[in-house]
Amino acid sequence: MTDRRHIRLGLLLALPAVFLTACGGTGSTATTSAGDGTGTITIWAHQGQDSENTVLQNAVNSFNGSQSAIKATLKFVPEKDYTKTLTATSASALPDIVEFDGPMMSSFVYNKKLSPISDYVLPATVANATAAVKAQGTLDGKLYGLGMYDSGLGIYANKKLLDAAGVKYPTSVLDDWTAADFTAAVQKLAAANPSHKALDLKEDYGLATEWGTYGMSPIVWSAGGALVKQGKAAGAIDSPAVVDAFRTFQSWKPYVDADTDGNAFVNGRVALSWVGHWAYPAYSKALGSDLTVLPLPDFGNGAKTGQGSWAWGISSGSQHAKAAGKFLDYLLGDTNVTAMTTADGAVPATKTALAASPLYRTGGPLHLFAQELAEPCGDTDITKSCVAVTRPLTAGYPVITAQFSQALNDIYGGADPQTSLAKAARAIDQDFSDNDGYSLTK
Amino acid sequence: MSTAVSPSPTPAPSAAAARPTTQRRRSRDWVHALLMTAPALAGLIAFVAVPFGYAVVLSLHKARLGSDRPPAFVGLEQYRRILTDPDLSGRFLHALLNNLTFALAVVPLQTGLALALAVLLNRKLRAIGLFRAVFFLPVVFPMALVAVIWRLILARSDQGILNSLLHQLSFGHWGSFDWLGSPLTAMASVVVLSVWQGVGFQMVILLAGLQAIPDERYEAAQLDRASRWQQFRHVTLPGIRTTLIFVALLTSVLSFRVFDQVYILVRGGGLNENATRTVMYEAVTTAFDQNNIGRASAITVVFFLIVLVLTLVQRRVARGDDA
Repeated sequence: MTDRRHIRLGLLLALPAVFLTACGGTGSTATTSAGDGTGTITIWAHQGQDSENTVLQNAVNSFNGSQSAIKATLKFVPEKDYTKTLTATSASALPDIVEFDGPMMSSFVYNKKLSPISDYVLPATVANATAAVKAQGTLDGKLYGLGMYDSGLGIYANKKLLDAAGVKYPTSVLDDWTAADFTAAVQKLAAANPSHKALDLKEDYGLATEWGTYGMSPIVWSAGGALVKQGKAAGAIDSPAVVDAFRTFQSWKPYVDADTDGNAFVNGRVALSWVGHWAYPAYSKALGSDLTVLPLPDFGNGAKTGQGSWAWGISSGSQHAKAAGKFLDYLLGDTNVTAMTTADGAVPATKTALAASPLYRTGGPLHLFAQELAEPCGDTDITKSCVAVTRPLTAGYPVITAQFSQALNDIYGGADPQTSLAKAARAIDQDFSDNDGYSLTK
Repeated sequence: MSTAVSPSPTPAPSAAAARPTTQRRRSRDWVHALLMTAPALAGLIAFVAVPFGYAVVLSLHKARLGSDRPPAFVGLEQYRRILTDPDLSGRFLHALLNNLTFALAVVPLQTGLALALAVLLNRKLRAIGLFRAVFFLPVVFPMALVAVIWRLILARSDQGILNSLLHQLSFGHWGSFDWLGSPLTAMASVVVLSVWQGVGFQMVILLAGLQAIPDERYEAAQLDRASRWQQFRHVTLPGIRTTLIFVALLTSVLSFRVFDQVYILVRGGGLNENATRTVMYEAVTTAFDQNNIGRASAITVVFFLIVLVLTLVQRRVARGDDA
């Protein structure tokens, strides 16, 4: 009797283990099939601003109306959960076309969720994409994604406040201010301001987030460092020049408006706002002709900006890749790119749409961003002369951004830059060595 | 269950025939018992045992979220790292310490405050329902909303509600103070907003406990000329003793789970991550920001064991009082 009970108990305890073996070890091997260029294709996109969603939905509707061989269906996923959704979905369960955030692409390629797109989209579509967007979408010599728009960083300045304080500021990319000039300008502006604040760093986005990495890694690059160099963070992210640069960054905090209400710049509480192109619509509405856009300060290796944004690709499990390619050709055409960038104010990611854009073309108020993006560095060759740097193209990016943004948040909170950055470097390097450097060929 | 054969109620014609009957009955009992407990047991296995077993298994591997490469077995390496590697263990132990600090502050504060509120609101006043509802209101708010409101209150600029209030009260002597950013006040801020949000829930439970105390006891106490304090001390407290222990236990278990407010405030900006990082926060960000499922599992397994031990100790102490 007791023996039997033991057996039953053993069975009961063994049950979860059986469950586990049944669940585990199911590596999905999805293979892309071109299909005959017809049929139904499914699309996932992140749910952005309403205006963006409308443009996307309209593009899908007009695509469906323009021909009868392919039917496209679009599904939105809330932005907050979008990347997690893609990460948690197996390759075979993904739709034909996925939108993804640029820096996450390598991770999806590494996990075999994306298929190269060059075989499915027209050569003309690829040729018309801007160099910076192509740099973001290319991994190991293969093109996995193209976007409708790109992004850039700059410092928006309130000319009236700068002039009133007698602060000199750059007038083009060429006479950029050095980090010391910038610090002096911030201090002078703060002294002239009753609130003693001069700068907005979008602290309200949170620095321990992707904003921290995207917004502040130009400091690393401009100081001659990198987030990772040849798969190693030690020596790249915590080099003496980078540490020094972050000491400077730390020294700005007393002059930074916490901007809890998101209106510091718009209400004239500060004269400078360090943010991306997307702030332009609200800022230009509030400041009119007092608004000017300046490049980020130069920490020695030339002024740098981040780049990269949402991109489109074909999933590795797609059975209709040819049809998906046709949809991407349509989506990345000038009509849709222009409609989208008009809706969200972003930098158009095709050469023709960029040249025609009233905001970004030569003489346009945001031409600076176009100029910067015309000098792409890619993610590795960060020289003095190039400007737009792509975030590291590696499947280890989630760890890099988590560690770097945490270090950044700590430094901003008063921690020693040397200690924090060295700690981040060790954590990144350990993760890379745990994963054999995220080599794609394994 | 003992193996002794109980006497059969019906006289058995022979010993040879009696054995199969009892055996059959016993196995029938066993089947019934299993049938009755099956739904609960199935739930327990599917939602508690399997995920926990899975976590234990994963914690012995290098596993990444969303990866199609098979997890590699690394033995106790993940545990070694979170417990002894200087970078990682520092963070983990610090998170654990933050959790303990949080629990040590929140449990007495929230239980005490809930009791005070419950006593205050246990009156036969006009519109007492309204007052009760008002104090219960924050519980209904999602933590995301609460965090946003408190971000406005605790903002470090002189526009922050608390800072500008102190500025007014001190006749302009109070400057701006970084409540969320300073390591000294970051955790205290999280404690205050958590108590504010959660206290209504404990209050409602205690209120129910208070209302279960028969009025006669108070009448008797009044006849004995017991003061209000004496009534509270000798009638109210003994009357809600078990409820109070339950509430304290519940609050401490809930307080170990603290995650949302830290996660939201850090993302909202300005929160001192180091001073407020909790174990759950560490586990969730490791799993979903860094995709490192193996280490996150090891963190949760260790944390589960710690909370289990603490809860057992607490229960033992609470029961020891009873005897």
